Amino acid sequence: MKNRLKVLRAERDWSQAELAGRLDVSRQAVNAIETGKHDPSLPLAFRIARLFDMRIEDIFDDGELA
Amino acid sequence: MTSKTKAPLGPGEQRTRQRRRTQMIYLGVAAVIGGTIGGMTGFFDQGDGNIFGGDWESVKLPPAVALLAAAGFLAALLALPLYGFRMIDDYKRERNLIAFTGGCLSVLAGYPMWAALHAGGFVPAPHAFGMFAIAYVSMIVAFLYARWRL
Repeated sequence: MKNRLKVLRAERDWSQAELAGRLDVSRQAVNAIETGKHDPSLPLAFRIARLFDMRIEDIFDDGELA
Repeated sequence: MTSKTKAPLGPGEQRTRQRRRTQMIYLGVAAVIGGTIGGMTGFFDQGDGNIFGGDWESVKLPPAVALLAAAGFLAALLALPLYGFRMIDDYKRERNLIAFTGGCLSVLAGYPMWAALHAGGFVPAPHAFGMFAIAYVSMIVAFLYARWRL
């Protein structure tokens, strides 16, 4: 699943470790999500959306919507 | 002289460092338990048996040491992993579940395969430590596969 996590993180000048800590996950998890190797669980997706004050679908794209 | 001032850690990085410290403590405790069991059983070993060869009849330990070792195994191979599962995030839990699945499937497939090969005269009879080793090694291989390929 594509996502804008890396861009959003860069906009705030946060490291992966900083974002990981704010989301209470490991840095490896952030890296895996950013590179599309891992899709976050729904609770984590909500936490990400709330952290960036956005909707989930504004951050994640499952490719279903053209 | 140049002075390099490090930017203060954000709350997220502090949390990440704390998480890493907790993991190090966890690994340290596991290593201490493992080392204690290994050292204790090696030091108090009274028999000529060898668990690697399935020679169980000759393996002897004082009863108190055996009880302590059993308690240590319970802590190291059941309590600590269950505690660890509660501490890790979804991503690491997924990789660990893949590892456990690899170990479990290897035992399910490995035992009948080994028994069939034994029946055909190719290998010695299946034994408990062999099955444990198959599970353990498969689990590590599955974990490494999940870590590097998924």
